[in-house]
Amino acid sequence: MSFIDPIYLIFLTTGITVGFGHCIGMCGPIVVSLSLNTGEQNPILPHLLYSAGRVMTYTILGGIMGATGSFTSVAVHIEGIQRGVMVFAGLLIVIMGLAMSGWIPLRKVFGDYCNPGGIISRGFRRLSQLKSRAAYFPIGLLLGLLPCGPVYTALLAAAGVGMKSPDGLEGIIKGMAVMFFFGIGTVPALFLVAKLADMGWLKNRRIIYRVAAMLMIAVGVYFVVKAITY
Amino acid sequence: MSDKNRICKNPRQRKKMSASKAIYPILAMAGMLFFYGSGVLKPALASEPAVNCNAHEGVCSLPLGDLEVTLEISPRPVKAMQDLVFKVSITNHVSANPPYIDLGMPGMKMGPNRVLLESTGQDTYEGKGVIVRCPSGRRTWFADVIVPGSGAVKFVFDVIY
Repeated sequence: MSFIDPIYLIFLTTGITVGFGHCIGMCGPIVVSLSLNTGEQNPILPHLLYSAGRVMTYTILGGIMGATGSFTSVAVHIEGIQRGVMVFAGLLIVIMGLAMSGWIPLRKVFGDYCNPGGIISRGFRRLSQLKSRAAYFPIGLLLGLLPCGPVYTALLAAAGVGMKSPDGLEGIIKGMAVMFFFGIGTVPALFLVAKLADMGWLKNRRIIYRVAAMLMIAVGVYFVVKAITY
Repeated sequence: MSDKNRICKNPRQRKKMSASKAIYPILAMAGMLFFYGSGVLKPALASEPAVNCNAHEGVCSLPLGDLEVTLEISPRPVKAMQDLVFKVSITNHVSANPPYIDLGMPGMKMGPNRVLLESTGQDTYEGKGVIVRCPSGRRTWFADVIVPGSGAVKFVFDVIY
């Protein structure tokens, strides 16, 4: 049983190249939104945890694809979950955007006056005040399920290596390896976004800040609409 | 100080949100423009290859030098995220190596998606593949049929999501 396969290098490279296109577009707004509430001087650790969660989800999905050897049969079953995740991601961005814009006193509405101990208030506070570093790992796990063309392509390859493997275990391991390397390849682009964000080269520009916050809300709404029409 | 007080009872601090964080939404905006711009607006650009094949109707043909390459995708209509059979026939093809197909989207990197073909008779080849779905909503895909020793032809077609 040989686990040395050029397909791993191919998908590592694919992850790097699509990372700077697709991933910055798809996950960039999410990464930025999450960054707003870290309260960290150094955002590396939260983003490392977020990426670790995302890569772990990819790897698990790769193992499932490798085990079944069929992309389409698995994809059909996770489609509904992916739509739900996309709605969640959109709402997350909208809430972060609204909370930081200050136009709507969401924190008062949800935090002070509307049953502070209730589920909505607690959920809102957790979403808009993600101070805990540990929270980024499960968020990464969940958002790794976001529907994405290049992820589908990598999963297709994971199913392909599973189909060609002589036994189930080898298929699982090889499928996981394809998705692991793909996921690792996507990390540098999102880290770059996080690092650039940490430079703070736009100071004292509140108007730009607010306009951009509005656009961020628009991105969140777009995510939700796309999820509904997906 | 309780967590609730820290969150809710300091409006001045809230208003004085760190201006350095302005970069975050700016980056969000840039990402959005990059992704949605590349995904949604690009089909309108003149540089995009035009659709030259109605894969839903049946066989498409394109010349490749002295050869003629035909592509048929089934089942029809051609839908994303389902198992598809790609049939290629090449007139007067003499190479020992079978052709293969690289699937992709014009102007968007989707990762390597290759359909390997096997001979099913004289000058005819067949293989299975999947066209994945792009959340951007773009439906135009291409199939580069690579004929070893002769070159490649690009079939551009729309799929159904």
